Amino acid sequence: MDFDTNNTTPKREAITFSATGSEYFRIWIVNLLLSIVTLGIYSAWAKVRRNRYFYSSTHLAGSSFEYHGNAVAILKGRIAAVVLIGGYNIALRVSPIVGLLMFVLLAAILPWLVWKSLQFKLYNTSYRGIRFGFGGSAKEAYKYFLWLPILNTFTAGLMTPFLHQRLKRFQHTQSRFGSSQFSFDATVGSFYKTYLLFFALLLGGLLVLIFVVFGSVFASFAAHANDATKVGSLLFAIGALYLWMFTVLPLFLTMIQNLIWNHTRLQQHQFQSQLTWGRTTFIMLTNLLGIVVTLGLFSPFAHVRWLKYRLEATSMLVHGSLDEFVAATGQQVSATGEGMADLLDFDLSM
Amino acid sequence: MHADKQEDRATLAARYFDGQTSRLYHVTLSVRDGMAVLAGDIERSCPLGELHVSERSSHAVRKVSFPDGAYLEIADQAAFNDLLHDTGHRDGWVVRLQQSWRGALLATVATVLALWLSYQYLLPVVAKGVAYAIPQSVERQLGQGVLDFLDKHVFEASKLAGARQQALRQQFARLATPGNSTPEHRIVFRKSKIGPNAFALPSGDIVLTDEMVALMPDDEAIMGVLAHELGHLQQRHLTRRLIQTSAVGAGAALLFGDVSTVVATLPPLLLDLKYSRDVEREADDYAITMLRQNGIALEHLAQVFVALGKLDQGTPYLSSHPASAERVERIRAAQR
Ligand SMILES: [Zn+2]
Repeated sequence: MDFDTNNTTPKREAITFSATGSEYFRIWIVNLLLSIVTLGIYSAWAKVRRNRYFYSSTHLAGSSFEYHGNAVAILKGRIAAVVLIGGYNIALRVSPIVGLLMFVLLAAILPWLVWKSLQFKLYNTSYRGIRFGFGGSAKEAYKYFLWLPILNTFTAGLMTPFLHQRLKRFQHTQSRFGSSQFSFDATVGSFYKTYLLFFALLLGGLLVLIFVVFGSVFASFAAHANDATKVGSLLFAIGALYLWMFTVLPLFLTMIQNLIWNHTRLQQHQFQSQLTWGRTTFIMLTNLLGIVVTLGLFSPFAHVRWLKYRLEATSMLVHGSLDEFVAATGQQVSATGEGMADLLDFDLSM
Repeated sequence: MHADKQEDRATLAARYFDGQTSRLYHVTLSVRDGMAVLAGDIERSCPLGELHVSERSSHAVRKVSFPDGAYLEIADQAAFNDLLHDTGHRDGWVVRLQQSWRGALLATVATVLALWLSYQYLLPVVAKGVAYAIPQSVERQLGQGVLDFLDKHVFEASKLAGARQQALRQQFARLATPGNSTPEHRIVFRKSKIGPNAFALPSGDIVLTDEMVALMPDDEAIMGVLAHELGHLQQRHLTRRLIQTSAVGAGAALLFGDVSTVVATLPPLLLDLKYSRDVEREADDYAITMLRQNGIALEHLAQVFVALGKLDQGTPYLSSHPASAERVERIRAAQR
């Protein structure tokens, strides 16, 4: 083990996020306009602008992150994605057989693309001048992004927590900062526990809803078949259902993100994630409300609020100093990283 | 050192990273004779032309990168802006737009306008073009499953006598159609649980419910209903609608996708209602032309909507349609 030799107590370094909704709103609206006017071509540059702003606003121990993605590489990736998805949809319409062939083709290249986009994303992120990176082999990518998910469909989804753990383990152990490797030690059992708790709560709440709310709705149906009350109480029941979903879903999100990051370290430095259910639910519900009420204009503010909360709930327990990382040896990373298709927005659950 | 007052003012604190290790160097930055000069934990200088400066923003850290991957982080935005100004550096126009509230307001107005214009004018044209470009055989496949589904869940076999069905089909087949192409179609009769209804599927099936046949005052009115549905087929309304809603859906998902898919499903639903009213008018116009061409008085078509208008509001046939009174008015106006 490579623990700190001085054996000092770890220093907690919290992530801070200095971006504001109002500044991001201006960046977002200008980017949106330019993307619309250029029929989507500008969206690649917009993505670079947005990421640069967010990365440069994310600070850890006094230094900020940096995004290096190249807009032309992103544009190439987006064109490829449009061609693939469009081709698939057309193929499906032309004949089921051509559609099936196209589906097989997609399934065959998708894991490779996901793997490459993970590499692209991490390689183009740096902190203190040192780039992140992603290793792994194509064989592993196919295992985690294709074979295991296919296998999972035959188990009626019972394997999902196991699959989730394996996927995160793959992502977090293959990631590195310079030449330092990340590690991940959350067990399959802990994933199953989280999923089970979530489903128990979800089902319990649904049962209560069905008995109480729907029961009274049906009762009112039977009592007076007036159109207005019928529609009103049905809407109320559906609203209650949605509200419950929006209350339980954040629970799962917080539990799983805390689980993942509390079991991730970079060498001897341990990550900590302290999201809370109440705050997550509050932010998600108010964001949704804000977006609906403002017809979408609130969405950049919503994005920043959510990102700020998630990032600032994360901290790093630094053992020793953050001064001793070194860049990966040689420049072979850049050769694989540059020009890579950035097809899917895949991130480390952050 | 010959540091004069002016140079002192232009010196500011920065954090330097060499791009090889994560070590933090505290330095000061100043500009002399077109060169950026670093002093402190590390000494280095570089011509201004080889440096890259990150975009201006009020809340993100500003960075200056050297050609070899080393870079500076500068926290004091105001002082750095002054320094940049002295060197003649100028922000790009996108950055200037992003940084001013007036620019953002202008962009907001322009975005809303662009979205509205493309929804109002561009999308219908594109959807029409795409719909007509799709071969009819493909379109048929698109709608194939719909009737099967409806038969399973909504319809029963028609109680109408076979001879009566055949007579109505033949009467409609004898009518001349407007324009030069007649869309392939098939008239099917069904008994429904949802009351009087008539609609056309992309598969070419025109479905007429027994209740609709019973509701019509005379056979010419039924011909009017069929002509209206044939108009939907001729103008490929269902396919166009499918294309439009999926385009709006994709657009909405792009706009709000990050935050919630629930929000993204709302706009297509809302926008669809308005579209269907336009489409109904187009189909009415087709029926008007067709009846006129065959010497059938338009009053028969008007009577269709009078009959439908008397029904309880909330019938699916009426929900997405213009008010019946308005349609009767239009048809009678065409008659004059
Ligand atoms: Zn119609």
